[in-house]
Amino acid sequence: MDFDFSDDQEQLRDAVRKWVDKGYDFERRRKTVTAGGFDRSAYNELAELGLAGLYISEDDGGMGMGPVEGMVVMEELGRGIVLEPLTQTLIAGGVLSGYAGDALKAQWLPKIASGEALVVLAYQERKARYQLDICEAKATQSSTGWSLSAMKNLVPAGDQAEAFIVPATVDGKIALFLVERNAAGVATRGYGTQDGARAADLQLMNAPASLITADGLVALEHAIDIGIAAACAEAVGVMDKTVAITAEYMNTRKQFGVAISSFQALRHRMADVKMQLELARSMSFYASLKLNAPADERRRAVARAKYQLGTSMRFVGQQAVQLHGGIGVTDEYIVSHYFRKLTQLEMTFGDTLHHLGAVSARMQDTAGVFA
Amino acid sequence: MDLAFTPEEQKFREDIRAWVKDNLPADISHKVHNALRLSRDDMQRWGKILGKKGWLGHGWPTQFGGPGWNAVQKHLFEEECALAGAPRVVPFGPVMVAPVIMAFGSPEQQQRFLPGIASGEVWWSQGYSEPGSGSDLASLKTRAERRGDKYIVNGQKAWTTLGQYGEWIFCLVRTSSEGKPQTGISFLLIDMKSPGVTVRPVRLLDGECEVNEVFFDNVEVPAENLIGEENKGWTYAKHLLSHERTNIADVNRAKRELERLKRIAKTEGVWDDTRFRDEIAKLDVEVVALEMLVLRVLSAEKTGKNSLDIAGLLKIRGSEIQQRYSELMMLAAGPYSLPLIQEAMEAGWQGDAAAGALGGFPGGVVANAPLASTYFNMRKTTIYGGSNEVQRTIVSQVVLG
Repeated sequence: MDFDFSDDQEQLRDAVRKWVDKGYDFERRRKTVTAGGFDRSAYNELAELGLAGLYISEDDGGMGMGPVEGMVVMEELGRGIVLEPLTQTLIAGGVLSGYAGDALKAQWLPKIASGEALVVLAYQERKARYQLDICEAKATQSSTGWSLSAMKNLVPAGDQAEAFIVPATVDGKIALFLVERNAAGVATRGYGTQDGARAADLQLMNAPASLITADGLVALEHAIDIGIAAACAEAVGVMDKTVAITAEYMNTRKQFGVAISSFQALRHRMADVKMQLELARSMSFYASLKLNAPADERRRAVARAKYQLGTSMRFVGQQAVQLHGGIGVTDEYIVSHYFRKLTQLEMTFGDTLHHLGAVSARMQDTAGVFA
Repeated sequence: MDLAFTPEEQKFREDIRAWVKDNLPADISHKVHNALRLSRDDMQRWGKILGKKGWLGHGWPTQFGGPGWNAVQKHLFEEECALAGAPRVVPFGPVMVAPVIMAFGSPEQQQRFLPGIASGEVWWSQGYSEPGSGSDLASLKTRAERRGDKYIVNGQKAWTTLGQYGEWIFCLVRTSSEGKPQTGISFLLIDMKSPGVTVRPVRLLDGECEVNEVFFDNVEVPAENLIGEENKGWTYAKHLLSHERTNIADVNRAKRELERLKRIAKTEGVWDDTRFRDEIAKLDVEVVALEMLVLRVLSAEKTGKNSLDIAGLLKIRGSEIQQRYSELMMLAAGPYSLPLIQEAMEAGWQGDAAAGALGGFPGGVVANAPLASTYFNMRKTTIYGGSNEVQRTIVSQVVLG
């Protein structure tokens, strides 16, 4: 039992932090938001740092790292509310490495690791909400291969990505496929999202596809869990910075002739905010440290974590705005961007009520970290 | 970074588990698992069993006869004891006054007092709070005047937990009114059999007498019972408070009680009520999050690599969780937690046979008898040990300066 980061992990953190601080300031981010919410050159810079290959083996051109490194990286990207969806890249690297056949791996993993190909998960359907086993997309097999018909929503950077990982049913059972955006029968409609980033609806009309695995639900659940652990870590970074910004503001802003940080009502609120941040950080650790556990244990752990993170994110985000007062609800001031990011993260990969339901349904006669 | 305990730590845990299984009396663990009334004898019996093994002072260094365990080993020991249904060690001797005697007492004081604490023979009480000094402890007024080789003590202590059993009491007393309130306080050990000491139990809202008022009327205390230097008592008391920060979170007991809550919910038929079970699920996550918080602090203490600013959060969260599980247990039983029958708090009570056909526990099961009482009792947790509002003020200093 040990919660210290290794020297290598600290170096990784420093490298990402340096890039965020020097290479990804608020102005650059604002321009990206205005331009549509995705900046390919920024994504390439992340790839140059090796981050796109984090969960890809060295043989396939990646860094062959694990969940703790993923967590460290996502915390730092969260601190800078980076728009480019590295979480998706971690999912793609993890899922293809874990479930795809050798040919597909050889074709895609090096390109993902180098940043040449952005591959994102396209799973959200209108009728499914947060349930993973509800899937109307259909796959059919012919002599020329697989083809998919589907309508997927909220695909991150969907009109910018090179390919999609798509769940679709085969004889009522979910399988996982890879679809290239430039293939025939693929249409996207992009739009901005509340956090300033970009997503798209994706329509597939008999689009050619490669089978990743026929055991699609197992792989999809794993994909989502990688995403949850990354989102939890990202949220910790977002909250960490939110708390720092708010504390700084409270020590600067004067009302009634004194800094507002001198008022006990506000100080105690800030203590509650700190509590939620540290509970969230603890459960982010928990999610990442359980990410390689057997599926049942992993699923329960990430549900617990996402419930805690969702609770914390909503509280920290709302209170940060409240503690700022009027400036907190402006677009010009930075804190509202952190609040919007936290709100979007809460509803990504299952919101708080959803995961409470999952914890409740999985609750057994044992509690605790080691149960 | 690794969540798993090392093989050595696992082995340590298994050894502790086996020993507790062999040595914890079943009648005591039965009471703990069902929140029944523990007698002085129950508490002291377990204390002496630990004492004989050398584990009553399980946080003590080897030079004073302790096992010399690190932070993680201490945690594992406490967890195994809690999960097995051992009573909490009465902390005033081995956990609270002993570290002060070790750090600031003279060799004579160490030889005189530590063996009785380590063996569990001598029952100690804590004399800190006063009627006018709660969260603002430094305002305390109990006076100790030096006359020759004695102190003459006059005043009153309040909220003295289990003081009715106490044989010795460690007190913060005022020896000077000069300067800041903190600088005139001394740390004095007082024999409770001394003439002029009066203990008055206070009945609390759960019907039990858990705390006492202790009056001092011209009590003569030998000057050799002063710990360290006169007027330095506040420093010694703070040293005491800086120890055992993870202990106060009591996450091990919370894990045990969460399981009991699930049992009660099943017995009372609310386990399948989604609305109710979701409340238990929230608590399940809260307990895991608290455990992770505790483990982070322990890990930092073990390696000494990180200094964490989160220890102040442990008391707040731990106490809130204790209140919450007791609340949910009561709500699970609902109206059947309401009958107030003193006899039902004793082990072995099966119901009122004299009532004939109407015997038994009114409308419910005997196990429901302590539920409301425990709920009432747990209101203390956010008040004692520095109220949670005081704790929030301390936490806010970490964030805001």
